[in-house]
Amino acid sequence: MQGFLVNQLPLLLLGIALLGFTAGVIKRIGLWRQGRHDQALKLSNIFFIPKRYLVDLHHIVARDTYIANTHIAAAGGVVASVLLMIPIYGFGLTNFYLYMALFLATFSAFIGGIFVWRRRSGRPSRLSRGKWNGVPIALLSFSIGFGFLTLFQSGYINANSVSIISIVVLSALATLGIFEIAGGGLLNRPFKHLLSGSLHLAFHPRQARFKSKGALSTDLKPVDWEVAKEIGTPGVKSVKDFAWNRLLSFDACIECGKCETACPAFAAEQPLNPKKLIQDFVAGMENRNDLAYAGSPTPGIPLGEHGGNSSSPIISDLVEEDTIWSCTSCRACVQECPMMIEHVDAIIDVRRDLTMRRGNIPETTAEALENLRQTDNIGGNDPKQRANWSLDLGVAMLKDGEKTDVLFWPGEAAFELKHQKTLRLVAQLMQKAGIEFAIPDLREADIGDFARRVGEEVLFETMVKKNMDLLSNYTFNKIVTADPHVYHSLKNEYSSYGGDYQIFHHTEFLLQMLEEGKISVKEKISDRTYTYHDPCYLGRYNSVVDAPRALLAMTVENITEMDKSGMNSRCCGWGGGAAFSDIPGKRRIPDMRMEDAQQTKVDTLVVSCPNCMTMLDGVVATSESLGPLPEVVDIAEVTARAVAL
Amino acid sequence: MSYKHIFTPLTINKVNIANRIISTAHAEVYAEDGFPQERYIKYYEEKAKGGLSLAICGGSSPVSRDSPWQWWKSVNLATDEVIPHLANLADAMHKHNSNIMIQATHMGRRTTYAGIDWPHLVSPSGVREPVHRGFCKTIEKHEIKSIIADFVAAVDRVKQSGMDGVEISAAHQHLIDQFWSPRSNKRTDEYGGSLENRMRFGKQVFEAVREKVGKDFCVGLRMCGDEFHPDGLDHDTLKDIAQAMSETKMVDFISVVGSGADTHNTLANCMPPMALPPEPFVHLAAGIRSRVNVPVMHAQGVRDPQQAERILAQGMADLVGITRGQIADPHMINKIREGQETRIKQCVGANYCIDRQYMGLDVLCVQNAATSREATMPHIIARSEKNKRRVVIVGGGPAGLEAARVSKERGHDVVLFEKNEEVGGQVNLSAKIPQRDQMAGIIRWYDMEIKRLDIDVRLGKAVDKAGIIKEEPDIVILATGGTENIEDKWGPKEGMCVSSWDVLNGKVKPAKNVLIYDGMGQHAGAGLADFIASKGSQVEIVTPDPKIADDVGGTTFPIMYRRLYALNVVQTPNYWLEEIYKEEDKFIAVLLNEYTEVTEEREVDQVVIENGTVPNEELYHALREESLNQGITDTDDLYANQPQKCLQLCDDKGFVLFRVGDCISMHNIHGAIYDSLRLCKDF
Repeated sequence: MQGFLVNQLPLLLLGIALLGFTAGVIKRIGLWRQGRHDQALKLSNIFFIPKRYLVDLHHIVARDTYIANTHIAAAGGVVASVLLMIPIYGFGLTNFYLYMALFLATFSAFIGGIFVWRRRSGRPSRLSRGKWNGVPIALLSFSIGFGFLTLFQSGYINANSVSIISIVVLSALATLGIFEIAGGGLLNRPFKHLLSGSLHLAFHPRQARFKSKGALSTDLKPVDWEVAKEIGTPGVKSVKDFAWNRLLSFDACIECGKCETACPAFAAEQPLNPKKLIQDFVAGMENRNDLAYAGSPTPGIPLGEHGGNSSSPIISDLVEEDTIWSCTSCRACVQECPMMIEHVDAIIDVRRDLTMRRGNIPETTAEALENLRQTDNIGGNDPKQRANWSLDLGVAMLKDGEKTDVLFWPGEAAFELKHQKTLRLVAQLMQKAGIEFAIPDLREADIGDFARRVGEEVLFETMVKKNMDLLSNYTFNKIVTADPHVYHSLKNEYSSYGGDYQIFHHTEFLLQMLEEGKISVKEKISDRTYTYHDPCYLGRYNSVVDAPRALLAMTVENITEMDKSGMNSRCCGWGGGAAFSDIPGKRRIPDMRMEDAQQTKVDTLVVSCPNCMTMLDGVVATSESLGPLPEVVDIAEVTARAVAL
Repeated sequence: MSYKHIFTPLTINKVNIANRIISTAHAEVYAEDGFPQERYIKYYEEKAKGGLSLAICGGSSPVSRDSPWQWWKSVNLATDEVIPHLANLADAMHKHNSNIMIQATHMGRRTTYAGIDWPHLVSPSGVREPVHRGFCKTIEKHEIKSIIADFVAAVDRVKQSGMDGVEISAAHQHLIDQFWSPRSNKRTDEYGGSLENRMRFGKQVFEAVREKVGKDFCVGLRMCGDEFHPDGLDHDTLKDIAQAMSETKMVDFISVVGSGADTHNTLANCMPPMALPPEPFVHLAAGIRSRVNVPVMHAQGVRDPQQAERILAQGMADLVGITRGQIADPHMINKIREGQETRIKQCVGANYCIDRQYMGLDVLCVQNAATSREATMPHIIARSEKNKRRVVIVGGGPAGLEAARVSKERGHDVVLFEKNEEVGGQVNLSAKIPQRDQMAGIIRWYDMEIKRLDIDVRLGKAVDKAGIIKEEPDIVILATGGTENIEDKWGPKEGMCVSSWDVLNGKVKPAKNVLIYDGMGQHAGAGLADFIASKGSQVEIVTPDPKIADDVGGTTFPIMYRRLYALNVVQTPNYWLEEIYKEEDKFIAVLLNEYTEVTEEREVDQVVIENGTVPNEELYHALREESLNQGITDTDDLYANQPQKCLQLCDDKGFVLFRVGDCISMHNIHGAIYDSLRLCKDF
C-alpha cells in the first residue's frame, strides 16, 4: 500500500491529469469554435507565447508586484513540477538533481499557494469567490502532497518510517491538488487559465499590442461589411457572432476584478461591471446561466436572471441594455486587465448591433445622432456658426487650394461659449508666437468619435468622408486641436480610411511653443494651486500624459497629482456617449472625479478636453460635497496667464 | 449654447460684426477742439479690448458750421482737419478687430446759437425748441442745398479716414426728423405737408451721400420709434417712414430709439433712468423691424446679457446697444463670453453719465472711475510686483470698498472694517428712496467682488486706534465717511428736527405734516420728499436753490418732478431755514426768503433736514501723528497719477495713513471711488 502510494500513484495521477487536460483542451476548443472564423492568424503564433508572456504581459502584471511574484512562484512551481514529473515518474529517470528540482518546484508552488491564500483571505471585493477560492487549496494540496511524495519516492525520507495515515493523507492531497490544477479545461481550474491565457496571448484580437512593450492599440476597428452581411449584423447580436479568438479572450478572464475597480460606471453604481460582462459572455459560451458567477454583481442586477447559449440574443438574455450604454469607453478596464482582454471592443460590438440593426438607442443619444445627420454637429447647431468664435480675432479660414503651416481644428468646441474660450486662447497664443495657422471652412463636420462609439458606424464613415474630402482641399503641415477626441480620431482612426496626418494636441503644441521660445513664461503662477485631470482620449488612448505635466511645470508653481492620474486617470463620464445615454446610478461619475480633485486640496482643476470641461465644470456643490469646488480651467487658460497673453 | 444669439455674427454692408452687443452713439464730451484725441480714442479702445465689435461714436457730431457743437465738446465733422484724428480712432479700434462708425447729423434748432460762429439756427418752420432754448429761423432752400452738401462732405471725410461707417441721425429731433415731425414742420412747400414731402429732405441727404460714397460704404439711420407727443410722430407713422427709408436701398441699418426729446420730460425717457422699467421701448424697435428689410439696432434700458439675448432671440432687434452698460464696464462682452457675467459691473441707471453730458461736462460713470481716464486709470488692476503689504481700511462705503478691491487686486493683504452690519455706507440710504432702489446695485457688485477676492471684511464692529495698530498695518486708509450736517441753530439736540438718515433708516417715523429742508439740491432731498410723501404724509420741501433738485441732471430731475407733483408735495425754492421752535405739540419753522429777506413761518409736526455731511475725522486725528507720513496725502503726486512717495517708508516699520472720500470732505459716489482708485492703484 505504501509502496503503491509512493511509487505508482504519482504516475497514475499524472497520466489521468494529462488525459483530463487533453480532454479539457478539446472541450475548450469546442467552446471557442462557436465563434466565427475571422482574423487570419497563423498557428505559428503560439511560438510568440513565451515572449508575450514574459515581456508584454509581465509589463502589465508587474504593476501589482505582490501578485506578479506570487504568480511566478505558483505558476512556475506547478508547471515545472508537472514537467519534471514526466521524466521522473513517466520514464523513471531518477537522480538527485531531478528530485531536488521537483522538490524545489513543489516548494515554490507551496510558497505561491501561501501568498494566494493570504491575498484571498484579505477578501478584496474585486476577487471572485466560488470556484476561485479553490485555487490556494489546489496549490497547497498539490505542493504538499507531491512535495512529500517526492521525498518518499526519492528515498530521502524512508516511507516506511512514516505512518500509513500520513501517507494516505498526503496522497489524497496530491490527488486533490493535481485534479484541481490540471482538471483545467474540463473543470475550469488553473490549467484552463494556462491554456486559454497562453493561447489568448498568441491569438489576441489586437496583435498590435505586442509590437513593443506597453504598445497601445486603442483605435476601434471598422466594421467588416462582408462579415456583417454574412452574420446578419454589423455588430454582435449573440455570443457566436464574436470571432473565435474573442471568445478565447473572454475565456482567459481570471476574474481578478481589476477592471471593476477601475471602472467609473461601476464605482458610480451604474449597471455595469466589466468583469461580470465578460463572464456573461462566458456564460453564453458555456450554455448556462450566471449563477456560477461569484464576484461582485452588476449594480442593481441580481444573479440568476440571465443565461443562455451562444445563439441567444445577448440583449437581454445575457446582458441588459443599460449595461451596454453605461460604458464611457474610457478603457480603464482594458488598461488594468492583466489578461489584456478588450472589454470596450466587445461593448462597441454590441452597440453596433443595437444601434444599426435594432435601432435601439437611448433617446438623448438618438437625438444627438439625428443632430449629427442633419447638421454635422452633436448639438444641432447651425453649421454656419462654426467660426463665430474666431471672427473678431482675425483668424484665417482656409479656402480650397490654400495652404497654411498649422491647421487648427476647432471641433465641437466651436459651438459652446465655455469651449470657445479655450479655442480663442489657443488661437491668440499661436498668434503671439507668430505661427501661421488657419481654421477649416464651415464644411467641417463632427469628427465622428461620438457616432462611432455609440455604434453608428455608417454615420461615422460619413463624417470621415466629409472631413477627409475637406482636408484634401488644403495643404498644411500639421493639425492642432484642443479636443482629445478629435486628436484620437484623426491620429488613429482615420488611418483605416487612408488618413495620414501629423497631429498635435494643444498641450503638446503649447509646450513645443514654450520650449522653442516662441512664447515665454512671464511669471510662473504662484497664487493658485493646481491638479491636472487626464482626458481618457489623450492619456490612456494616446499616452500623452507627460506633455501636459511639462507644460504645467513650466507655467505654475504648485501642482498636486490626484491618486488616479496619468494612465490610471478616472474618466469624467462624458466619453462613449455616456453623457447622452446618462444611465442612472447611485452617483454621478463627474461628481466622483471632482472628489478626487478635492482630495488634493487644490483650488484649480486643470482640464485639456472640452468634454471634461463640460462634465467637471457642470458639477454643482451640494451639502454632501467635500467643501468648495475647485475652479475648472483649460490648460490653455493657465498658459495664457503665465505668458501674460 | 448660452448667449448663442449674442455671439452670432452679422454683416452689415461690408462690415463684419462678431457679436450683437454694440455701443450706440452718445455724446462723450471728450473731443478736444472738435477732434477725437487721446482720451476719446482710449475710451473706445478699452471697449474694443473688452470684446466690443461695433461702436458708433460721436453722438450728434455736426456736419455743418451752423450746427454749433462746442457745449458738448462734440466731434466736428465739418472740417477736413478731422480726418487724421478719425483715422487714429479707426486704427486703434481695428487693432483689436473691432469696428467703429460715427454719427453724423445736423442739429437744426436743437442747440444753442451762442458759440463759435454764433450762427442763426435753422429749422423747417422756425419753431423754437424748448429744451435748448433753440431759437431759429425758417430754413431756406439754398440752406437745404448747402446742408445736404455738408452731409456729403462729412460722410466722405469719415470714409476717407478709414472708419467703418456712418450713422445719420434722424432721432431726438435733429434736423432730418424736424422735417419729419408735424410738431416742427409747418411748411407748405415740397418739404412740408404730406409725409412724402416731409421725408424729402432726409431722402435727399441719403441720395446725395450715396452718390458720393457709393453703395459699399456702410451708412445707417438712427430714428425715433414714437415721439410720444400728441402733435408729433407716432409709432405707425414712424413705421411708414422706416419702411420708406428701407425701400430706398440706401440705408444699411436702422437704429431705433423711443421718445421725443425736445421737452425736459420727454428727454428723461431717452436714456431711461433707473425709475423706468427695463428696456421700455424695445417694442418700438420690434415694430419697425417688422416693416424693414435692414438690420435694426436698439438701445435703451438694456443692461444685462440675459436681456440682450432674449431681445435677440425673440427677434425684436438685430443688434442690442448696451451703451451705458459699457460705460460702467467696458469689458462686459469678454465677461459674458467667459462665463463671468456675475463680475460685470452692471449699469444701475443712475445716469450720472448723461446728466453730466447735459450740463456740458465730460461723461463719467458713477461707479467706475477708470472710464474715460484710461490713459491713467486701469480697468483691470494688475498685481503689484513690489512687496506684499498689509492694508487696513476703515469704512465700507464706496470709497472703502473701492480701496479694498483695488488693494487686494494689487496682491496685498486687506482688512476692511465696517461698523454697520452690511457694507455700502450712504449708498444703502440712497437705495431706500422710491424708484431708486437700483442704487444698491453699485454695492452689490462690490460685495460680490469682495467675496470673490476673499477680502477679510469685519462687519458690525467699529474699530479704534488700538484695533487698527493691532493689525500691524503697512497702510491705513480711512474711509470713515461723514455724519449728518445739522446746524446747531436748528436745535437738533433739543429735538426740534430729525435727520434725513434717521427717516430713511426707519429710526424715525415720518409725521403727518412734514417740512423737509434741503440745503443740497441733490437727489437726496427730493428723494426724501418722495419717500415721506409716499408714506402718506403731507410734505413741503424747502430749499435756498432756485428750484427743487437744482443739482440733479436733465434725465433725472423730471422723474423726481413727476413724482413730487403726483404726491402733492409743496415745492418752496429760494428759502433758507433760519430756526425751529416749538409751540405746544407743533414745530414752527422760520423760513427766510433769499431775495426779499422776508421771513415766513410754517407750523408742522416734523422738520427733516437734508444738508449733506461733515467729515468723520476722529480716527484721522488719533492716528495722524503716529503715521510715517503724518497722514498727509501728497496731492501733487495724486493729481499727477503718480505713486505716493511715502509708500517707500512703510515696508520697514510703521504705517502710512491716507484718507479717501467723505471723511476728507463731502464728495459724491464717483468722487469717493475715484479717490480710492487713484490712490490705491499704485500700492
